[in-house]
Amino acid sequence: MGKLLSSPKLLVIAIAAVAALLVSVAGGALGASFGLGFLGGPIPFISIPAERVAFIGSYPLLNSTIMFWVGGLVLLFVAWRAGRNVKDVPSGWQNLMEMIYEFFSNTVDGVAGGEPKSGRRFLALVSTIFLVVMIINWVGILPGVGSIGRIETIEEWVHHHVEDLEAEVHEEHPDYSPKQVHSIALIHLLEEHGDDTFVAFDGVFVWLGQGEQARVPLRHIVTFEDHELHDLADEVKHGEDISHDPVWERIEHDIHEGVVKEVFTYDLGGPSQTPYDFKGQTAGLLVPYLRGASTDVNTTLAIAIVAMLTVQIWGFRALGVRGYGGKFLVNPISQGPIATFVGVLEGFGELTRTISFTFRLFGNMFAGEILLIAMAFLLPLIGIIPFMGLELFVGVIQAYIFAMLTLVFGVMAVASHGDHDSHAEEH
Amino acid sequence: MEALGITLQQLLTQLVSFLILFFLLYKLAYGPIMGMLDSRAQKIKESLEAAETARLEAASSAERVEAEIAQARVEGQKIVAEARDAASKLREQEQDRAREEVETMLERARTEIGREKDSAVEEVRKEFANLAITAAERIVERSLDAKSHSSLIDKVLEEGLSERKN
Repeated sequence: MGKLLSSPKLLVIAIAAVAALLVSVAGGALGASFGLGFLGGPIPFISIPAERVAFIGSYPLLNSTIMFWVGGLVLLFVAWRAGRNVKDVPSGWQNLMEMIYEFFSNTVDGVAGGEPKSGRRFLALVSTIFLVVMIINWVGILPGVGSIGRIETIEEWVHHHVEDLEAEVHEEHPDYSPKQVHSIALIHLLEEHGDDTFVAFDGVFVWLGQGEQARVPLRHIVTFEDHELHDLADEVKHGEDISHDPVWERIEHDIHEGVVKEVFTYDLGGPSQTPYDFKGQTAGLLVPYLRGASTDVNTTLAIAIVAMLTVQIWGFRALGVRGYGGKFLVNPISQGPIATFVGVLEGFGELTRTISFTFRLFGNMFAGEILLIAMAFLLPLIGIIPFMGLELFVGVIQAYIFAMLTLVFGVMAVASHGDHDSHAEEH
Repeated sequence: MEALGITLQQLLTQLVSFLILFFLLYKLAYGPIMGMLDSRAQKIKESLEAAETARLEAASSAERVEAEIAQARVEGQKIVAEARDAASKLREQEQDRAREEVETMLERARTEIGREKDSAVEEVRKEFANLAITAAERIVERSLDAKSHSSLIDKVLEEGLSERKN
């Protein structure tokens, strides 16, 4: 404390830190309860599927795919700098790459039995998985990823979802005309997602200050009654034309307009607060332009599939089709039914490993993303700083776990099944 | 699947992206670095071997030099010993010769002295004979009593001695 008082620099820093803490507490979710909350933003709609931000032709480009490519380009740049002019006396990028490479070279050799070069067949994939997962985790927590985006209007939102549903309806009722399919899909969508909430915002600016509370259910934007939808669905099923039905026209109009129709008030709490009325405000969803690739199940599943398929390839190459296949398909007559059952379980094990790979990485990184969002909401300005560091750490740890598990599964696959069995046969 | 957002299209996109990334990483970094590390390991092994060879060579040449020095020392000692032997032999010879010479000289001197003495004795004897003769002549010339006889001999001897003195 004496040191703090004697050094003006430290004192200024301490005062600034305390001030930042006070501002962030007052401006965040806590302050919002007392009429402050001036720094609050809406919690982005937490969507497990990655959002599409554009179409290339008919190909929907997801925000997570963009970040996968960004991470890949960063990695390729480093690799190109490191590998374009390798020298015996390394420098710069080559040093970095060599360090990582040697670390994994030693690790794979250690896990694969300790002989030099015994783990070389695993090296390329294991280090690629580590580098790729680490880089997509890290670029995924850059500021701006997941927080900068555009507002998807209700019309766009409905359009995308109806498109997906149309395919399902068409499969169920192939005899429906396209118009019927569209109508049924829209009715299904409204029935299922009537209680989904959207952010209400005024003009181009998102209505700030109330965070997650500033959400309006779909029913208050597109007004309908459940029985109206039932009636419409029946009419469509009987082949009637509903395009001039007043209820249908109202629904289509509401979707197109995309504003809060019914009075939807929210009591903000606190003695001096008046309920906030959202009526007439535009509603929509915040669609981030960028999203960490590892917060999309497609990415983690793709890497898990590559890893587990490669593990099978290693197994078949090391033990042959009979040797490796014999781990899973055991003859119940000569080996006994229990061994057969164990073999089938092992086969399922390969499948569950793929799934656990997928959701371990996805779960950790998605939770990290939500953690950052929540901290930005609770303590704006400073709340996310320690958690950014934590996420960097989690990102590299998850990458390491993914790579190491791939290595361990690979080593297990190439080890001949039950060494004691073969020894017993020899004796 | 729908709720998680898994679609075949996106799955394939990520799968292909990952495989392309893997391939490019292999081409750009792993390949060159792996080759370089192997060649570096080879180089280090070679230089270690070369250093070992050089060390062995240096050790063997040092051994050879030492052996040569030892041999030279032995040879030198032999030469010194030989020289010392020769010197002592030479000295002995010189001493022998000197002793012989001295002896010869002594012998010669002794012989000379003997001869001188002999000649002196001869001369004395001759002289005494003469004196005796002279004395006898005198005795004969005169009759002589015993007393005069002896005085005569003394007189002769005195004469003889004084003559010799003169």
